[in-house]
Amino acid sequence: MNEHHAVIAANRFGLGAKPGQLATAKDNPQQWLLDQLTTPRFSSSYPDSGEILQAFYQYRSDKKRFKEQKMMEKPESAINHVFVTMSADTVGRSINDDHSLNWRLLDFFSNHFSVSGQGRMMKPLAPTLEREAIAPNLLGAFENMLLAVEQHPSMLVYLDNNKSVGPSTRVARKSRGLNENLAREILELHTLGVDGGYNLEDIQELAKAITGWSISRSASENHGFEFRQVAHEPGPRVVLGKVYRNTGQAQGEAILKDLAVHPSTARHVSFKLARHFVSDTPSDDLVKAMTDTWRKTRGNIKAVVAAMVEHPDSWQMEPAKLKTPREFYISTLRATGLALPRARSVVSTLTSLGQAPFGAGSPAGYGDVASSWNGADALLKRVDWINMITRQVEMTQPPLQFARTHSGSLLSEHTAKVVSRAESRQQGMALYLMSPEFLRR
Amino acid sequence: MKRRELIKMLGMGLSVAPVSLKAQYALSREKTSSADQKVIWILLRGGMDSLQTIVPAFDADLMNHRRPLTEAILDDLHPLDRGFGLHPALNNLYSWYKNKEMLPVVAVASPYRSRSHFDGQDFLESGLTQINYDSGWLGRALEVTSCQGLAVAHSLPVSLRGRGNVSSWFPSRFSVAEEDLYSRLFKLYENEEMLTERLQKGLETRAMTEEAVDGNNRKAHFTALAKAAGMLLRGEDTPSALTLEMGGWDTHSNEVFRLDRQLSQLDEGMAALKKELGSAWKNTLVVIATEFGRTVKVNGTMGTDHGTGAALFLAGGALKGGRVLGDWPGLKQSELYEGRDLMPTSDIRSWIGSALQQHWKMSDQAMASVFPDLTLNPANKLIS
Repeated sequence: MNEHHAVIAANRFGLGAKPGQLATAKDNPQQWLLDQLTTPRFSSSYPDSGEILQAFYQYRSDKKRFKEQKMMEKPESAINHVFVTMSADTVGRSINDDHSLNWRLLDFFSNHFSVSGQGRMMKPLAPTLEREAIAPNLLGAFENMLLAVEQHPSMLVYLDNNKSVGPSTRVARKSRGLNENLAREILELHTLGVDGGYNLEDIQELAKAITGWSISRSASENHGFEFRQVAHEPGPRVVLGKVYRNTGQAQGEAILKDLAVHPSTARHVSFKLARHFVSDTPSDDLVKAMTDTWRKTRGNIKAVVAAMVEHPDSWQMEPAKLKTPREFYISTLRATGLALPRARSVVSTLTSLGQAPFGAGSPAGYGDVASSWNGADALLKRVDWINMITRQVEMTQPPLQFARTHSGSLLSEHTAKVVSRAESRQQGMALYLMSPEFLRR
Repeated sequence: MKRRELIKMLGMGLSVAPVSLKAQYALSREKTSSADQKVIWILLRGGMDSLQTIVPAFDADLMNHRRPLTEAILDDLHPLDRGFGLHPALNNLYSWYKNKEMLPVVAVASPYRSRSHFDGQDFLESGLTQINYDSGWLGRALEVTSCQGLAVAHSLPVSLRGRGNVSSWFPSRFSVAEEDLYSRLFKLYENEEMLTERLQKGLETRAMTEEAVDGNNRKAHFTALAKAAGMLLRGEDTPSALTLEMGGWDTHSNEVFRLDRQLSQLDEGMAALKKELGSAWKNTLVVIATEFGRTVKVNGTMGTDHGTGAALFLAGGALKGGRVLGDWPGLKQSELYEGRDLMPTSDIRSWIGSALQQHWKMSDQAMASVFPDLTLNPANKLIS
């Protein structure tokens, strides 16, 4: 191992090295990465999704009363601001933490289980999913993460499962019946993948099995999840040829547990992980090594990530990935050491750069290949932003030295020349941050 | 030096400039004749109140439902075909109507029948009977015609999504860098074909729209965006389809004032769009739609709530306009949808589909991939 590998470790798998980290990583870059697989920590000073639901109901009833009586002051939702502060909080922690592989992994799964903050109810709920369901299960069995996500109010509301009612239950109405949204996306996006070998009946059966998975109307434990027996479709279900007895809430859970370890899921999620970290077109060998580990460990995420980190195909010299706007934003702030901007500014800058937090607008999440991010306007937005922030940096070192701190021996002669000939330190830094070496990883 | 000149100069020094890319553009342009026939899709997000915009002044029940709203504008309506009246703020749209360059369609709706903004918009934009967030009707149309599309937005709206050649553009909220930085970036990217091409293209777009969104206008008002849209579409090698959007239509309260302001801005934006398009206007089809209409009855806060049946504007130099289309369902209590909304009498997609098919001269087979579940009526002549 040499310095090349330390640079690759810090950028391809992380969000860039902090001062001194490349020297530490050099001895054993793979171990240095594996040591970063710790659970991302969040502060508990924000409301959880259960409290957000309560505040939302309160707001809705206040608004109704306001409309009817026309006398009180117009109600303000107590929780609107949490969308911005919580979204920015995750970004801030990714910048400040010495570890970054774990935050990259969180970002990957947050996009794998994408929810969009549209509307008064989803807006404050969206940023809670990664904190409450994904982060605590980031390094364990995929099964646990899958269950936590699909029973989280954020996902249940986003894909309408809270409104899904078993068609032969007594609460079914003409306007209130089975909703297949969540079941479809579980199979297509979250587990097996679109070619994973399921059919329309499997979707419908899974949808029926998870009827009753809903949100609580009163204060509750469990982040606001509530199982409503009365809406649960009775009877056994058959998914992928296997019969599941009606065990209430546990019926859907049993199906998800099997889906989590299904060979198609192993391949689908392994491929997406490799595509995210290593290359838009990862090698078959790499994906196979990860898929095999998935099967052997019954979907242990930490083991699968380790298999990727330890595979030789993950260490090709040529950077094969264009940073997403979010990765670009975070790695720039890590590199420059600039103070974290105010929460509102974090969100609006990410929006301008093209990747608003919880703004994919599709359950498939944001694209994860270069073509999703390499538009002409997108490049110019990066230039504008870099130009703006580099003016705020108090630079004490020559820009070339700054560039070498981050790209080490991977800095090309050409970039070094252009950076060192800049007319000011700030411009030199801007040119490095816009160089192919920093745009890619 | 003006930025425009600078870019020209930078471009000339661009010996590594991607010849192959230029050739690709030329190729894609030759592939189709529809490249010069522009389509502009404008989504009014929030649910525009059609009954206050294209007012059925002839319908005796109108006043029973919403007297305070209607009375405020009744005397100033621009008279339309069949006894309808156009909102007084829409002066430019009315002059287009008189020139046969605009036609409203009344009582339309997508297949969506609930009343959520986001679902309603996603339905309309995906153009299917079930939302597909990753495939929009205009995106599919671009895919089958191999034309380029551009969204004036931070990111791609659902309408343009798909596998077509599409991108998005939005004015920068960051202050713009000095020219020296760009020329150094070209130097930095001299071995990077993709980055060079993107930088060049980005700067060209910026130069083109500079006038529209510079200075005090940078706050991205609708008029500035519409003006920029016109600039981006004129000339050669420009996109064939463009999307714009405007929010603020969710008039639950104080509707008389708010809708007047909204419609004035829309009207002003449309005038700017036409002016900038110049001679391209005669080959342009503009479609202005909203996710749903609003309740027929005025509510307790002098506004209206989420409804169903809405209206659609078709406009542009390519249009056979000057009439009001769409069957009128009536406003008697028994004629309302679920006792509260304007009853839709036609699928909004059938109008959009017919106009698009005739404008781009698309085959029935091509249309089947744009709106797979829809049969279009060929007798519906919308394009002149």
